[in-house]
Order: sequence, then C-alpha cells, then structure tokens
Amino acid sequence: MKNFWIGIGAVALASLATQSIAQEKLVVSTWGGNWKDGTAIIAKEFTKRTGMEVEFITGGTLDRLAKAKVAKGNPESDVTYTTSHVGALYQSDGLFEKLDMSKIPNAADLYPAGDRGGYEMGVYSYVYSPAFRTDLMPAGFKIDSWKVLWDDAMKSNLGLPDFDPSHIVIAASVMEGKSPADWESTTDKLTALKPNIKAFYQSDATSQDLIRTGETPVQVLLSINGYHLIEQGLPIEIAIPKEGAVVGIGALGINTGTKKLDAAHEFINVALDPIVQQEICEFHKCSPMNRKAKISEELAKLPGIFTTDEQWKTQAIVLDDATYAKLLPQWKTWFTENMMQ
Amino acid sequence: MTRQRPFFVQFLVPAVLVAVIFAAAMFNVLKYSFLEFVPGSLNVGGFTLENFTRINRPIYYWVLLDTFILSFATAFFALLLSYPISFALVRAERNWVRSVLVVLAITPLFTGEIVRTYSWMLVLGSDGVVNTALKSLGVIDRSVPIMYTRVGVVIALVQFAMPVMIILLATAISQINRDCEKAAANLGATPNTVFWWVTIPLTLPGILSGFVVVFAWTMSAFSTPQLIGGGKVLMISNVVYLQGFSSFNLPFAAVLSLVALFAALGSLALMKLLTARLEQNMATS
Repeated sequence: MKNFWIGIGAVALASLATQSIAQEKLVVSTWGGNWKDGTAIIAKEFTKRTGMEVEFITGGTLDRLAKAKVAKGNPESDVTYTTSHVGALYQSDGLFEKLDMSKIPNAADLYPAGDRGGYEMGVYSYVYSPAFRTDLMPAGFKIDSWKVLWDDAMKSNLGLPDFDPSHIVIAASVMEGKSPADWESTTDKLTALKPNIKAFYQSDATSQDLIRTGETPVQVLLSINGYHLIEQGLPIEIAIPKEGAVVGIGALGINTGTKKLDAAHEFINVALDPIVQQEICEFHKCSPMNRKAKISEELAKLPGIFTTDEQWKTQAIVLDDATYAKLLPQWKTWFTENMMQ
Repeated sequence: MTRQRPFFVQFLVPAVLVAVIFAAAMFNVLKYSFLEFVPGSLNVGGFTLENFTRINRPIYYWVLLDTFILSFATAFFALLLSYPISFALVRAERNWVRSVLVVLAITPLFTGEIVRTYSWMLVLGSDGVVNTALKSLGVIDRSVPIMYTRVGVVIALVQFAMPVMIILLATAISQINRDCEKAAANLGATPNTVFWWVTIPLTLPGILSGFVVVFAWTMSAFSTPQLIGGGKVLMISNVVYLQGFSSFNLPFAAVLSLVALFAALGSLALMKLLTARLEQNMATS
C-alpha cells in the first residue's frame, strides 16, 4: 500500500514538472499589427522545434526601448525585435546580451549587413526610398535621383517621417558627395527642401493614410508599407534612386538578465533559417539576410529587394548602427529646430 | 486627555500619496534637466547648464507662442459654440429635447482622443467632407488646405474641448436665479437685453472657469496637434516628445517639460488675477 502511494506521488510530481516546462514561455518584444504577424512566423517554427510557446509584448520601437530601460536587469521580455540602430542603444545601455555565435549556426550564411556587431542579428532588410502615387503625379513622372525631391514641381507634395529624418539627411549627404558624418555641411541643401514638405508622418499608419488619401502624393516611404499599399490596389511606384536607397534592418537581440538564454539564441537561429527567412520575406516583401534563402522571382524583382552582393553594393546605403545611433539625435534635433513648423 | 484626529484626515491619505508620487516624478524631471545628454546612449552624463541655454532659440519661443495662441483660440471658440448649447440644454422645456442635447453634446467625451482626431482627419483632408462639400457647391474649385494648419488644429481641439465646456456652462446657467431675469423683463428689458445684461453676467463665474479649464487643458494637448498638425504645427508637448522619444535627448526634453509647466502655471495665475478683477468689477457695477 505504501509503495502504491509513493508511486502515485511520483506520477503527480512528474506531471507537475512536465506541466511547468510546457507552460514556460519565451517572451518576445515586437511591434504590433502585421509586424507581429511576421514575428509569429518565427514563433511558429520555434515552437515546432522546441515545444516552447512564444508570448508577444507589442509596442512602438521607442516606447519599448523606454520600457526596457525602466525594467533593466529584470526584463519583461527574453528577446527583442527592433530596428538595428535602435538595437545599438539597447547595447550601449547594457540591455542586450553578447550573443554566443556557436548557438546561432545559421548566422554563418548571412550577408555582411546581417552582422550587427555581436549583440544583435539582422533578420531582414527594407529600404526607405522615394515613392509616389502614379495617378496623382504627371504622366511620365520618375524619380531616378533623390535630387528630384528638391524640384520646384514637388512643392507641398512631399511627406517625411517626423521620428527619423536620417533617410533624407543621409541621401542629401550622399548626393553632395559627403559622408553622413559630414552632414552639417549639407544643411543648406536640406533647408532648401522645406517648401516641398507638406507634412511629417508619425507612424506607419499615418504614413499610409497620407499617401492613401493623396495628401502627400510623394513620400520617403518604408518599402514594406509601400508594397502593402500596392497589394491593396493603390497605384504606387517605389523608386530606387541612382544614389541608392537607405537601408533599415529589423534585428533580434537577447535581453540582458533573461533566464532563457538558450531558448532565446534558438529563437534567433530559427529566424535566420533559410526557409523561415523566405516565409518572412514573402510575407513582408522584404530582403532576406540569409544568402541561402530562396525567395520567389516575383518578389526578387521588386525595387528594394536585395538578393545579391552586387545589389547590396550598388543600390543599398547602409550606415553602421553605432554611428547611426550617435548621429540620429543630432539630425533629429536639427530637423525639429530647422525643418519642422 | 488625548486629542482625537479629525475624521476627515483619513480621506486626505490618497491625495497626499498622489501628491508625493507627483512630486517625486517632478523632482526626477528637474534632476534630468541639469544632466548632460550623451548622443548614442540612453545614459546621461554629469552636471550641466547647457540644456537651459539651448532653450534660448527662436524655434522654442515660437512653439511657446503657438501653444498660447492655439490654447487661447480653442478656449474662446469652445466658449462661443458651447454657450448656446448649454443654454438650450438647461432652458429647454421638453425633456426629450434635453435628452437629445445631452447625448449629442456629451457623448463625444466617451470616445477617445485618437478616434476623434482620426475622424477629423477624414473630415478636414484634401478629399475630406469639408472640401468635397465646398467643391460640389461650387464655392471652391480646388481643395483648401485645412489639415496641417493651425486652423485645422483649432477646429479639432475645439470639438474635443466642447463637452467639458458645455458641462461647466450648463452648471453655471442652471444656478441662475430666474427671478432676476423676470424682474428685468418686468422693468421693460427686451429678451436680448435680459440675455446680455442679466444672464451673461450672472453666468460669468462659469464662463471664466470653463475658459480657464479649457485653456489649461489645451496647453498640454498632444495627439491632436500631432496628427492634425502633421509636424507643421507644433505645440510644446509635441516638441517634448520629439526631443525625448525621437532624439532620445531626455535632459532637454526635461527642460522643455519644466518650461511647459511653468508657462501653464504662469498663464493660469495671470488668468486668475484677471478673472478676479473682472468678477470684482461686475459685482461693483
């Protein structure tokens, strides 16, 4: 009888232990909306491989950064999906763990832009590039250079992001044959753009609203948003100027203080898996970071989708994250004081 | 003999707790305003006064001035549009009329600021309701820009502030002793004279408190100028946000927050002084 009760006890304990493992979840901080749906592609494969469920915490890029700073040492999430230059701020503030590359074997197959300095890994890329409504601009209108944005015909037609002027600052620097670090010598050029700006958008949603309603028929637009609108039937053309388009990179980092370090590394490894990369890119209409990812021909021919080293070299303007993170506040402050209002 | 604490003291505890938390937060803001901004980092440096000298730039004076003007215009137009509604709300003889007015006037209070602002974007846009109506009536032949202008921002802010103004005015109007109006009418005053020389002066406390509340409320407006202004119309809260959350320059954002706080307190003190004088003048005359 005694053995019977010991047996029952052992079974109960084992069942509780199994339940607690099964209930352990990896918490991933990501953006909301279709960005979360994109992250769910990684989560689905991760759960399939590890049996661990994934829970999402969603919010804006900067709101999540502020929250992570407040929760330093006791993070709300185990993994953070963010923009790579914002990831540099996580890193500089000690909010990201140094990655153990031996646990991310898929990292070996990435384009150079995927390596973001050992604390975060680039998962996909997109571009910020000029885009326009073909039905609202004159017939034959083309944007083959960033210079077109400065044309008189562009007066009160242009929309720019208010949260990040880096794209136009970088483009102006490149146009003037300067490095983005020498941006201060191009401020006259930037000021000359002021009459052409109709409005600044604050988010992806307002960006899409502005171009959908025709308020700003020309925008420096996030390519993923552009393709999303094209899918909805909006006549939009995304241009890749001869100087190149400014690349943004969605990156994953591991929050300092996580108790699920191995699982967090595995999540990043899954995100860089060629098949998962293909799914993410087909979903978002973005460029994969893994060279081995095979995307459809239809996607590969879209402007701003880079699948060869040659395209990365000739069409992409990539700034290192530390420089980006250091210069962005200066650009932003200058922009607020001189370009807005 | 022991002295017993007054009964109401226990009711002060929540208020004191909130005040302590608020004071601690404000102290933190004050502390940040004296710390150095380090580009490329969320950490701040050592003691500096540079954040305060930076404020001495035309852009920040213009933003402050714009904030005052937009707040004043919002309070003024909200008052102008709300008074007749409040008057009808209190004086309507039929219950159903009052019920309809209450629903129409107060319901917007229960929809969020963002929802209301998005609705205004649809109304004020180039192809919005206003421009489409004006074009179809032949008043204009091409869209008039209303979005991303001060006019657009004030329109949305006024609508946002009206429910509060209506409640305050309706309370004031309902407190009027109707015998005063009847006495004036018996002495030969026309309804117009009674309204301007009896009713309005008697509701002056409500008018002033409504004006001050809406003015102070609008001083901290954020989402409406953010979305309707589209970065072309900036109020002080928008600049605080841009510096703090886009530039990550939290020390300078802290300075701007302090400036906003003191500007609001200063203008409220000034208004209090003016309203006290006005009320005194009305009482003596």
